[in-house]
Amino acid sequence: MLVMALCLPASAGLRQKQANRDTNQFRYEIECAGNAIQGTYLVKVWSYSKKASVAENQCRKNAVHGVIFKGYGGGQGCVSQRPLANNPGVETQFGEYFDSFFADGGEFQKYASIMEGTTETIKVGREYKVGCVVSVRKDDLRKALEAAGVIRGLNSGF
Amino acid sequence: MKKSLFTIVLACVALVASAQIKKPELMVIPSDAWCIQNGYYTEVANMGTITKVPNYKQALQENMGLKLAIAKLNDLMAERQFPLKSLEQEIKNLEQRRMEDNLTTSKAGNDLAESPLDEVARTAKCDIILELTWDVKDFGPKHSLSYILEGRDAYTSKSIGAASGTGAPSFTADVDVLLEEAIVANMDNFNNRLLDHFTEMQTIGREISLDIKVFANNAAGIDLETEFGDDELIDVINNWLQLNTVQGRFSMPYASENIANFTQVRIPVYDERGRAIDANGFAKGLAKMLKKEPYNIPSKVLVKGLGRAVIILGEK
Repeated sequence: MLVMALCLPASAGLRQKQANRDTNQFRYEIECAGNAIQGTYLVKVWSYSKKASVAENQCRKNAVHGVIFKGYGGGQGCVSQRPLANNPGVETQFGEYFDSFFADGGEFQKYASIMEGTTETIKVGREYKVGCVVSVRKDDLRKALEAAGVIRGLNSGF
Repeated sequence: MKKSLFTIVLACVALVASAQIKKPELMVIPSDAWCIQNGYYTEVANMGTITKVPNYKQALQENMGLKLAIAKLNDLMAERQFPLKSLEQEIKNLEQRRMEDNLTTSKAGNDLAESPLDEVARTAKCDIILELTWDVKDFGPKHSLSYILEGRDAYTSKSIGAASGTGAPSFTADVDVLLEEAIVANMDNFNNRLLDHFTEMQTIGREISLDIKVFANNAAGIDLETEFGDDELIDVINNWLQLNTVQGRFSMPYASENIANFTQVRIPVYDERGRAIDANGFAKGLAKMLKKEPYNIPSKVLVKGLGRAVIILGEK
């Protein structure tokens, strides 16, 4: 019993670490989920994990990561959006900043919220693919990245 | 001691302030196509041809959708610390200034001096024009809005970027709601292109156009083919541009003995003393060089905004 009690949190931690690694390797899909209110993007994110609950938790992190580094395509009335970070090298250049930003419980949480009742779970082989619709507060996120010097503001240089 | 310290601080502040690149002014105008399609135009006879000229004042007074679109765009741009110049306010200011000028007389009863060129220059001006077009299409009971926002450099006429798209068909009959949705959804893409343009400008210089003209029968007795040593005057100007543009970037699509047009002239955003310069400052540099020995050519530099300058050689 004692061994089991010690092992359970450790294995949950390992799954979370794996999910974080998946995020870093862009192992998620992001698509437009409709027109959002001003200052936000509404995106659907598909995350992968051996445990459905871990994948669901990862959705917010992946949504923010996707808005910063990937952008998403349009279609069916949706407008495609470029990533906030235009320079592909920015993730490495500001590695320390993003490590802390995307750490579990990190600042990324402030900018994303899962829309209730939108979670879909599909079993794919030995893992789960979990889709959630996430509202990302992109204007606030962009301001935070501009303030940190990660991206350039429209007004910078003038 | 305190006084000198204050002077040093003030000088530093002034230096930092002058080191800022001159910020372009942006203004939204409805496109010609939209104005004509919606009946906001006046017909002008031009050399026997009837031309439709957009009537912005009428459009702004009668179309609430246009006012809403401009207000929304201004709101979104102000949020990015780039407030727009208001077309409506510019038109009002022009009318006010014109009225004031007409009523201004000296004690001796003299009117204000104004050349025909000054009169032409008194039009609504900005550095980047944002041209707005939208159209609503009906699909049975549903409506869909097509939207185009195109940014254009007012001096070089080059397109800076555009954001366009057609929204998903909706049962919403309110065009204003569809328009607002389209603006909000497309603005980030447009601003990304604007940012690319600004980054390019800060990296390889501001793009301007420069026209060199010659006063007919001028007192200096020169034209662009006048020789100075082995070089004609146009070669002297070309050599100066080669040295003073960023990486020698410019092109000369047309030159004769009286006129030379230079386009795609990339000027540095700061001069050698770290002060921000625009087309006017750049042109004045060339005019100063031509005024000196051995050329001794007086000239008139006409101010056309941040991105266009005209130098007329031969007289002041």
